[in-house]
Amino acid sequence: MPQRLIAAVVAALLVGVAGCGGSDEAADNTFKLWHFEGPDSAMGTAWAEAIKQFEASHPGVKVAFEEKGFEQIQKTGSLAVNSKDAPDLLEYPKGNATAGLLSKQGLLTDLSDEVAQRGWDKKLGPGVDTTARYDERGVMGSGQWFGIPNYAEYITVYYNKDMFDRQGLALPTTLDQLTAAMDRFVAAGITPLATAGQEYPAQQVLYQLALTKADRGWVDRYQRYTGDVDFHDTAWTYGATTFADWVRKGYLSRDSAGLKAEDMGLAFMQGKNPIMVSGTWWYGRLRAQVKDFQWVSARWPGMTAGSSGNMWVVPKAAKHKQYALDFIDITLSPAVQDKLRDAGGVAVAPGAAPAADPAIRQLNDDYRALRDADQLAFYPDWPVPGYYDVQVQAVQKLITGDADPRQVLDELAGPYREHVASIGK
Amino acid sequence: MRAVRERGSYLLYLAPGALLVLAVVLVPFGMNVGISFTEWSGVGEPEWTGLDNYGRLLSDGTFWASFRHNLALVVAMAVLPTLAGLVVAATLVDYIGKHFGARQAAVLRACVYLPQVLPIAVAGIVWSWILAPKDGALNAALRALGLEALARNWLGDPDLALWSLMGVLLWMQLGYPVVIFMAGMSRLDPALHEAAELDGASWWGRFRHVTVPGLRPEIFVVLLTCTIAALKVFAPIYVLTRGGPAGATNVPAYYSFQNFFERTRVGYGAAIATVLTVLVLVLTAVFLRVQQRGER
Repeated sequence: MPQRLIAAVVAALLVGVAGCGGSDEAADNTFKLWHFEGPDSAMGTAWAEAIKQFEASHPGVKVAFEEKGFEQIQKTGSLAVNSKDAPDLLEYPKGNATAGLLSKQGLLTDLSDEVAQRGWDKKLGPGVDTTARYDERGVMGSGQWFGIPNYAEYITVYYNKDMFDRQGLALPTTLDQLTAAMDRFVAAGITPLATAGQEYPAQQVLYQLALTKADRGWVDRYQRYTGDVDFHDTAWTYGATTFADWVRKGYLSRDSAGLKAEDMGLAFMQGKNPIMVSGTWWYGRLRAQVKDFQWVSARWPGMTAGSSGNMWVVPKAAKHKQYALDFIDITLSPAVQDKLRDAGGVAVAPGAAPAADPAIRQLNDDYRALRDADQLAFYPDWPVPGYYDVQVQAVQKLITGDADPRQVLDELAGPYREHVASIGK
Repeated sequence: MRAVRERGSYLLYLAPGALLVLAVVLVPFGMNVGISFTEWSGVGEPEWTGLDNYGRLLSDGTFWASFRHNLALVVAMAVLPTLAGLVVAATLVDYIGKHFGARQAAVLRACVYLPQVLPIAVAGIVWSWILAPKDGALNAALRALGLEALARNWLGDPDLALWSLMGVLLWMQLGYPVVIFMAGMSRLDPALHEAAELDGASWWGRFRHVTVPGLRPEIFVVLLTCTIAALKVFAPIYVLTRGGPAGATNVPAYYSFQNFFERTRVGYGAAIATVLTVLVLVLTAVFLRVQQRGER
């Protein structure tokens, strides 16, 4: 008897565990969509509109939207894509270590035919496809389309115009002018540059400095492994030594080593530092929250970190691929793209009419100028999985003075070489 | 025959628990050990590499540094809270309880215990405000007291970050031993204290020769559980420093997480997790052994 009872308990438990998966029948006419944009962000606003349009054009289809966090998708998205409960469409980070890895493993749907048929490539324009196409090694820039971006982002320089006016300074347009302006602020007892070493901002400043001496070939060698990368070449050395100089001259605070991106943003928004070098993802928030001073965004002189935004990917295991493709098409429609742009985002396929707000027009014009001149240089941590972390630590040492530029570049070179040696394995 | 039957019915009660342990502890641990012998990015097929990951661990400076940091955290989360917990508990029972009443002692005990109840994410964010370099509360307080020279970049300076973290963890951890020790003290026979007092023993003498030996079982439990908590500490590191600056506060649990989810080196992360688990198991076995010997 006890044995029988034990068997019954075990069976009941197993059935219970198996039952947790839910039934597939219920999901029959449900379009499962995941993304990680906040509801008030430019993308969140635009995609809410896209969901509305999708429901109107697909009567009887229920959109099951789940809002995820960026880190959640970045860290565990691959598990979801790899399971039978994969969503039909999800927003996914672009780059070799993320979308490239999934495409290499055969977990994403090849969208190339659809791209040609629906003319998405023409809509997006040249350059944007670099982050959308991956070869069989999972390296971006060539091969099949595995994702469709529908917004863009790039690093820009935010200036507190009032603080510049108070010092009698014009807004800089060259690196020399920027440096001269920072000298003036330091002399006035103000730390000019808001940044943060514990997250992405500081490493992006170092990369921006290196990019002032770089060209497309340099970026492609580094990001797409098209040739040897020398971490002690002119560009990298200039980037690291200039960054160390900036620390020494007090352009940025040594205290910033332990700060997060949020601290940087708050310091700028509170008017503590007159300059912030960071992404267009701050734009909407600055517009909404900065009320007591005038600010502007301006292009970084030369090549600039930036790319298409994160992308829509369709898991191989998706049950309703047609719905996913229809939804992507809607997000690329002029109406939705204009909505995204007018909410402070950078649209990749806007309608013919320019934005009514001159500041937003400038932000989008700057993007088009960068794209048309082929000056988008992606982000510094893309080439190697986990490189973000390596860069955070190396640049922190540069800020605290625990390592000199040469040692920092050596630290960046190690994991890069190790990864490049393993590509294609 | 009856004995066998009885044993069978006991086993029945154990079955659900055993099944759960199997499903959520043993099977995942076995899989983790299996994965630690492979090179795997988290998706696709793992590639069998034998002991490569373990060989690599031996020469990985970051891994060994993370263990050194962990030892410091054992001091902050187990040794110091136990010592301080004894003193605080004795003060609350012998001094506050006797002179101001049991209710006052209970209120103070709750205050000391509060950090244990706070979600770590909340406590971590509050502490990151307190320790912020420019306008953090601690530096502001130092400035207000005219001690500006002592203001520091508490979490952003590689020489200080681990110490700052230890301070925060001591604060988080203290309430637990205090509550356990106060409960333990109520178990001690008051006659022992009275007899010692009659014999002319000072408070310190009674504390040393009566209270502490009487609390031996509690001290063992607290040391064991706190040491294990220190070895697998993750959340406060994640919220406060992310292992930085420049790796100064990295610990094995966080390093393992980095390899799992950020570097997509799942096999290597699994090897770190396995080593950590084995270490915790060995330490627990040693503790229990010593405790049993002590009881005999």
